[in-house]
Amino acid sequence: MKIEDVVCPFCGCLCDDLVVQVEGNRVVNVENGCTLANEKFMGDHRLETPIRRSGKKWERISYDEAIAETAGILLDADRPLLYGWSGTYGEAQTIGVHLAEVLGAVIDNTSTVCHGPSIMAIQEVGHPGCTLGQIKNRADVVIYWAANPIEAHPRHMSRYTTFADGFFVKNAFRERKVIVVDVRETDSSQIADEFVKVNPGGDYAILSALRAIVRGKRDIIPPNVEGVSREQLFRVAEICMAAKFGAIFFGVGLTMASGKYKNIRNAIELTEELNRHTKFTISPMRGHWNVYGSNEVFTWITGYPYAVDFARGIAFYNPGETTSVDILRRGECDACLVVASDPGAHFPRACAEHLARIPTIQIDPHVNATTHLSQIQIPVAVTGIDAEGTAYRMDGVPLRTRKLFQGSHPDDLEVLEKIYAIVREAKG
Amino acid sequence: MKFFLNTGRTIKQGSFVERKNSPAYLEEASTLRMNPVDMMDLMVEDGDHVSVRSGVGEVVMRVRPNPGLARGRTFVCLGPYANHIVSPETHGTGMPDFKATMVIIEPTGNPVSSVAALMGSCGGVPYED
Repeated sequence: MKIEDVVCPFCGCLCDDLVVQVEGNRVVNVENGCTLANEKFMGDHRLETPIRRSGKKWERISYDEAIAETAGILLDADRPLLYGWSGTYGEAQTIGVHLAEVLGAVIDNTSTVCHGPSIMAIQEVGHPGCTLGQIKNRADVVIYWAANPIEAHPRHMSRYTTFADGFFVKNAFRERKVIVVDVRETDSSQIADEFVKVNPGGDYAILSALRAIVRGKRDIIPPNVEGVSREQLFRVAEICMAAKFGAIFFGVGLTMASGKYKNIRNAIELTEELNRHTKFTISPMRGHWNVYGSNEVFTWITGYPYAVDFARGIAFYNPGETTSVDILRRGECDACLVVASDPGAHFPRACAEHLARIPTIQIDPHVNATTHLSQIQIPVAVTGIDAEGTAYRMDGVPLRTRKLFQGSHPDDLEVLEKIYAIVREAKG
Repeated sequence: MKFFLNTGRTIKQGSFVERKNSPAYLEEASTLRMNPVDMMDLMVEDGDHVSVRSGVGEVVMRVRPNPGLARGRTFVCLGPYANHIVSPETHGTGMPDFKATMVIIEPTGNPVSSVAALMGSCGGVPYED
């Protein structure tokens, strides 16, 4: 059976034009997908049943047993952490937030180690953004700053920018100028009209220099700023100011480098300066599929996009204090529920060590690095393949994913609702 | 020798991200890319093992030349190997310095650990699927 208009459940692009062929309860072919999509849909390496660590060994257990034990661990904990959420859909994330509130837990999503600093900057100075459709149809200048879309978002350029013809940009490849700013040469930098190679940690200075040039202060720019010549900075500023519609996309090269959220604030303020001359927008390249949705769901229920602490009985948010890496490195939480993410692989080692010390439960379809650190793992259906739900694209557009076949695993919502019911009853 | 360690996504890392026990993921996540001239200085060849040490830990990786990197700079895809030597300090932002770790790199004859063994060294119990 061929299913059309399937939404990809891998990166923040949520490409919605995939054609997927299903036979029984397996995907056998994917059309229009990138390498990442093909691997995601065709992947056949799921954990079959719930598992529990018993001493130095692992044993299989039933779903009912795993769910009851998970609820018990969370109820016994004084400071539980509920982390992850970006690989699942909005309806399951909603139950996660309610579970955190009943438990008085901290709930955090993967933006804590990707675009969390971008959100902090947006809270300071706002977000002059737009949908990807606007950029596809209008932008004649596109900047990828500290991002490598060819490897991280492989179809971004062909669906929305460099190779995508738009309503007002009839021949995108010739009419759109592409600027790449990065600390190293990448596949993306090789197809740029202008590659700005900046020293590591030098982005803030480059952004400040461009702001000064756009403001008409060329005479104060030194001959070289963080590895970039003054002439190239003048050229980049001229391209931007001559644009009819410019779009900046930035990656985690800005949020993880020195300066963190201040880099993003400076980039947003450069966008503001450029808007005195022409139309310019700025957007984060959200990586982990529905991470934008986790920010939306957390915000509409608690008022805060990530790192929400319910220990006081009300929602409290303070990045650096209530963020997962800080809670784990301080050894503060005494139980952790990981849903649809892999902190074992993507957090610093000190955090992995604490996850191994406390009872950690993971709800995830696959064996990953966190599996080895966990007490219990509960396998679930893969959202967008054998579970359906709502996810948000990187530009904030919600899309409904499809269930392509009836699999043998329960989905995230089903498992979380059962855990929530037990906890709710125990809490009264 | 001292180097600057940067991390980020690669297409191969993304392709095998849901098969972290696989040899393909192990190979990609434990590959350290380095300028070929730096490799000559270190007297290592493509595929040789190196010890990568930071202020918070040490891990063995295999080295691969990448002329796109400036001298003194190295790149590893995000994952458990890179994170074994990244400090958990977030400077009050929640975000560690994933892209800015100073490391000392030396040739070594020690083997590259599997992901399961690496997590075992963190106190976990390897689960082989």
